Amino acid sequence: MCNYHKNSRREFLKKVSLASAGAFLAPTILPSGRLFAATGVRKANHVVFCLFAGGVRQLESMQQAEGNLMPYMLSGTQSTIPGLSPLPSPTGLPLQTYGTLFKEFRYNQGPTGHVSGHHTAITGAYNANDLNINLPPTSPTVFEYYRKHNTPSMSALNAWWISDSLGPYPALNFSSDSNYGALYGANFIQPRTLISQAGYNSLGTPKVFTSSQKTSVAGIRTILDKNFGKSYSGGDAGIVNLEADRASLETYISSSFNDAVAGMYNDPWGVGAAVFNDDMFNLFIAEKVLQQFKPELLVVNMQGVDVCHFEYTMYCDNLRKADYALAHLWSTIQSTPGLANDTILIAVPEHGRNSTPNTVMDAYGRYAVDHTGEAMSREIFCLVLGPAGVVKTNNIISTVEGESIDVVPTIADILGFYNDIPTNYKNNMGSPLAQAFV
Amino acid sequence: MKKHLKYFSLFIIAVVFFSCKKKETDYIYDVNDVTVSQSGISKPNVKNTIEFISIAYSDLFGTTIGATELTELSLCYLAFGDKKFIEDLIIRNFLNKTGVIIPTQSTMTADVNAFVQATYRKFYNRDPNEFEKWQIVNYINTTSSITPELVYYSFMTSDEYRYY
Repeated sequence: MCNYHKNSRREFLKKVSLASAGAFLAPTILPSGRLFAATGVRKANHVVFCLFAGGVRQLESMQQAEGNLMPYMLSGTQSTIPGLSPLPSPTGLPLQTYGTLFKEFRYNQGPTGHVSGHHTAITGAYNANDLNINLPPTSPTVFEYYRKHNTPSMSALNAWWISDSLGPYPALNFSSDSNYGALYGANFIQPRTLISQAGYNSLGTPKVFTSSQKTSVAGIRTILDKNFGKSYSGGDAGIVNLEADRASLETYISSSFNDAVAGMYNDPWGVGAAVFNDDMFNLFIAEKVLQQFKPELLVVNMQGVDVCHFEYTMYCDNLRKADYALAHLWSTIQSTPGLANDTILIAVPEHGRNSTPNTVMDAYGRYAVDHTGEAMSREIFCLVLGPAGVVKTNNIISTVEGESIDVVPTIADILGFYNDIPTNYKNNMGSPLAQAFV
Repeated sequence: MKKHLKYFSLFIIAVVFFSCKKKETDYIYDVNDVTVSQSGISKPNVKNTIEFISIAYSDLFGTTIGATELTELSLCYLAFGDKKFIEDLIIRNFLNKTGVIIPTQSTMTADVNAFVQATYRKFYNRDPNEFEKWQIVNYINTTSSITPELVYYSFMTSDEYRYY
């Protein structure tokens, strides 16, 4: 072979080698700046985590001491105790048929308080006793794990935290962990306050600018911000949505204001305005958000049963309403294109209640119940629903298995990024609930 | 001889005390009076929710916000996670209300320098430096669609407005 052809061959081989290496590497250099794609395989593309919170006692839920107060979720003869609101009876099979029910789940450590229980559920880590309820969690939330480790990186419109109340709960959409934080946080909304007549009065009639006017504003603001040199972002500014996503959010909120003011949200499920409570409203808005944005991760809570500190019968009634609301949520998911058969719903109380009552008697002669760390206040349940073939159906686990800190790793496993969570964080969590999946 | 020595000593003393007298000079430094105000760089604190809403209201309406309106707005502010989004919504709702005090277009164009100076003082509680002033004045002069309302909106949704 002559030198010319030898050199050409060398050049050819060199180019082929470089091209091959490039072809292998290029797809793994991702927009997020990470070199390799997530290794985990997704079980589903959407997860809805419903904190069936407020303190649900096993006696009234799994053990059905008052009859079945959760007929939409559980098998068993419906409760007939006096003082319950009229609700439609379920027509199909109970939800437990469509998934796995952990009847003896546990909230093993930390104070049996609502905020502490929420922190644990959303971070997958138990709290120390010195939890400051006015501050964000110190451990990263499931939203931050998702937005940081999921590949490709998803905008905040894909992660939602929908809370029934204000107080310490708005702080649960991101943590103070320096490796995570607001940059990876979830959109937060507390519908009862925002989507209301008062919300409309305050925010419902904004000045609308043309695109040309917006361009002018952006021009001035760029000068001002550049000269100031300090960005209002991070913890104080909350999470950040993309400009295009903010436009979608404004459209959604504006539409919700109009519907709420028109009275369309007074009894949207047709159960009666007097029956439709805050838990139902919160899940109704969660349904709206799911239909509108089809987020990959949504966490929503209910806490109506906490009335049990003073009104035991109302606690039972609110347990039924929460049961109805959860079934309505699942039905909406199954009838929404893009979510149906591609969503896993996990429902778990944040903690239970004491085995013994307090001294407050209600109008029906029943004593109220607190949650002060007794063994029964750590006993909870966990229901995992999802597509057949992914989630084990009609699977009841009656032994003590699973705990609160297993939910976050389970969500990470479902969405395929569990293996990407750094070991030092993973060590604080429990483990994915493999028992629930095929 | 003694007499000569005495005169000589007096002469020496006189030389020492009077020959080195420093002449007093009246210096005049040509420095103009300046108004001391807060510079943008030295604003370390973020306004809290109540401060942000009540200051914005006062800046636009020239009066203090009512307690009920302040409470309702503060709750709405807490009820949504993207604070910049909700702040923008608050400001645009204020701008859409009757009673908002904004200079007219003719007032702005009649003296853009004065308008910019006043806008900096109103929203940033400071004077602009020459470069800042030139940038904004130039932007206003070269942008046909700009209005005082848009300038106000820009200032109120800027990063510096969130600090004090």
